[in-house]
Amino acid sequence: MIIVMENHKNHHNEDQHETHHIASYKEHFSTLAALLLLTVVTVVVSVFGANLATLSVATALLIATIKVIVVAYYFMHLKYEKKIYSWLILLVVVLFVAFTVLTAIEYLNR
Amino acid sequence: MEHATGFVLPNSGHNRDAEASKMGMWLFLFTELLLFGGLFIVYMVYRLMNHDAFLLSSFELNVAMGTINTVVLLVSSMTIAMSITAIQKGNSILSIKLLATTLILSLVFMIIKYFEWSAKIHHGFFPGMEYYSNLPKGEALFFFLYFFMTGLHALHIIIGAVLIAVVIYRTKKGQVHSENYTLTENAGLYWHLVDLIWIYLFPLFYLIH
Amino acid sequence: MATATANINFFQAKKGIFSWIFSVDHKRIGLLYLYSLMTFFLVGVTLGLLMRYELLNPGKDLVEAQTYNQIFTLHGVIMIFLFIIPSIPAVFGNFFLPIMLGTDDVSFPRLNLLSWWIYIIGAIMALSTLVFGDGPADTGWTFYAPYSVNTTTNVSMSVLAAFVLGFSSILTGLNFIVTIHRLRTPGMTFLKMPLFAWSLYATSWIQLLATPIIGITLLMIVAERALGVGLFDPSIGGDPILYQHLFWIYSHPAVYIMALPAFGIISELLPTFSQRTIFGYKAIAFSSLAIAFVGYFIWGHHMFTSGMSGTARFIFSILTFLVAIPTAIKVFNWVATLYKGSINVQPPLLYALAFIFQFMIGGFTGLILGALATDIHLHDTYFVVGHFHYVMFGGTGFAFFGALHYWYPKIWGRMYNIKVANIAFTIFFIGFNLLYFPMLIAGLMGMPRRYYDYLPEFHLPNMISTYGSWVLAVGLLLMLGNLIAGFYKGKRGVGRNPWGGITLEWQTMSPPPVQNFDRMPVIPKNGPYDYENKPTINE
Repeated sequence: MIIVMENHKNHHNEDQHETHHIASYKEHFSTLAALLLLTVVTVVVSVFGANLATLSVATALLIATIKVIVVAYYFMHLKYEKKIYSWLILLVVVLFVAFTVLTAIEYLNR
Repeated sequence: MEHATGFVLPNSGHNRDAEASKMGMWLFLFTELLLFGGLFIVYMVYRLMNHDAFLLSSFELNVAMGTINTVVLLVSSMTIAMSITAIQKGNSILSIKLLATTLILSLVFMIIKYFEWSAKIHHGFFPGMEYYSNLPKGEALFFFLYFFMTGLHALHIIIGAVLIAVVIYRTKKGQVHSENYTLTENAGLYWHLVDLIWIYLFPLFYLIH
Repeated sequence: MATATANINFFQAKKGIFSWIFSVDHKRIGLLYLYSLMTFFLVGVTLGLLMRYELLNPGKDLVEAQTYNQIFTLHGVIMIFLFIIPSIPAVFGNFFLPIMLGTDDVSFPRLNLLSWWIYIIGAIMALSTLVFGDGPADTGWTFYAPYSVNTTTNVSMSVLAAFVLGFSSILTGLNFIVTIHRLRTPGMTFLKMPLFAWSLYATSWIQLLATPIIGITLLMIVAERALGVGLFDPSIGGDPILYQHLFWIYSHPAVYIMALPAFGIISELLPTFSQRTIFGYKAIAFSSLAIAFVGYFIWGHHMFTSGMSGTARFIFSILTFLVAIPTAIKVFNWVATLYKGSINVQPPLLYALAFIFQFMIGGFTGLILGALATDIHLHDTYFVVGHFHYVMFGGTGFAFFGALHYWYPKIWGRMYNIKVANIAFTIFFIGFNLLYFPMLIAGLMGMPRRYYDYLPEFHLPNMISTYGSWVLAVGLLLMLGNLIAGFYKGKRGVGRNPWGGITLEWQTMSPPPVQNFDRMPVIPKNGPYDYENKPTINE
């Protein structure tokens, strides 16, 4: 077996230009503020907009999706990562949506 | 361990590669997304077929507690993201404090969950109990899914908490520092996933009325 | 500084059983998989032979119906989860992917070892169902609700075994994706990677993204068994067909986990034994991705008679036909590769040619099943059994053995007896087709599957099939016996490149050194199969 060479890193072209972006504390606070605001909106719409039924559900899910994108983009650092990660997440989302849609079509047409 | 004999390749699978670790964690997160995704598909199908029953059942859940838990997790996402900033800036002590805060918030989440669950179980809503077996069909499905999905989510909170504890330990020992903080980043990614899942669970169970 | 003797081969480094079962060397892990996989395969073969014996004549020949149900269930679970799904990736992927990429291991060597250990634990769990309670599950490997929820046989253990094995699969896929992204040797772009690597890349994405769905579905079954009520329970408004949806959302892509690596093997064998470049490299590479992608959307073709809505049946049937297109592209390109090549008839090539023949039969019968109207008549008949054995066994199985005969000299540094290998292949091939072709006939005649008995009119195809299974068993034993004999009596000194291959593994020692290479690998100038500009390899 080979000795692990602690300081030896593999050669990758892109690594030479890689700057490890450090997100500021301020950015994290702002992100949280946005998320909390969105949460408040969701709850208010659903509690006080009860008679809007479907619309409030759609709104709740839409806002949830926005929150997820905010968490992924800022907290999970996607904004500063290689683009490939965003494309892969999109792939996963496309797959999941396809499963959901195909299954829904099946049930709705019984 | 043996010494490398003779020729040594420039690209080695045994060298430390932070980008590879991060990629590995993202790929693992995809599997978690699809694991919960399967349950979301089940939810969607049964919601389509039992629309009114699901609506009715969601009134049984405590919106206030759900909202507090949502806020708790969002704040904990911020604290763990900040702990990464701290370690990147070389501030191990602050990083540990922020990680510890995240851990405490996770505990708060679990305590609130405990109160929610025990209230439900006390009233017999758990699958197998007598009150549960007398529930109308759609409502029984709702509560089965509620316990299954929040239970699986809680299991992931526990795993995440253990992971954070490991990062705290390793940071204390100096194995995690400003030149080697992949572990903190990966723990952060996992924790954010746990947060993401709750962001969807919350409206789907608590807010659909 | 580095002398030839300093490069000891990976067998010679560290000895003893513990140096193997705790090794993080991808080559040793690949062989650990090989030995365990082949053991479970032989158990699965035995179960298959028992089934065929029962079906030799109408009426009871050996076992009662209940036992028969348990046999075919365990046969399916072993063959699918313990053999076929890991097979090519875990054995040959582990051993050769790093070497083909010009690196010395996968990205996460310890995770690789963990994958094997998880595999062993899952295997023990699956086999344990034989020895306690009411015995192995009797539901079929598909574990359909509601029967799987109510039967008293060991469904929970079987299903948890499958869950554990799923983790092994996911971790292997994860490891390969990162390895391919991060560890290719300088100068090897994605489009200079061998096609086996491309096939493993596509497969790994399916392993990663599809397996979790069956994971959660199986947990739902366990929950329903444990709590006495559950999500597929009609009494609380649940739908058993939803189980089928979730099950097949994984299990259909799973067949591409089985097929894509086999396609990759064929894409390696044909250039070597025609001594010319593959026809349409890019088309084959991208068709692997296309098959993986389209394969996610067609699971409903397993459910045409389940009670699904008509609209869904229509949609799934049309989508199913799409996946034939990239598959056909591969077959055309393989045949074009052979055309005007300098053909070297050797055992690996024989397996590759048999693959093309058998996979095509499997593929065409698949189209017949994919067509909604014909499937109504053929679903749950022996036509389906014939179809999937042609693709999984005649296809992937033969590709696996072809790969074993191809890379044997590289792995062990010896050569098996070629003549015996050719004879064994012939017997194996004849036995295989005698065993499975009559099933297509019996299915068309209307014989249902998963029955331990049948009407007299199905006697002839069943007899031929059972005799075929005995011929196949002889061929299989001869083949394996020959390979094992080669360990002890095989000619040594095979050199670095006995077949004249061009991918990087043929530039290193046989067996390879611990660090895979004893000198810097040279990438062919114009692509991985650039036979026009073959680099000279000195021994």
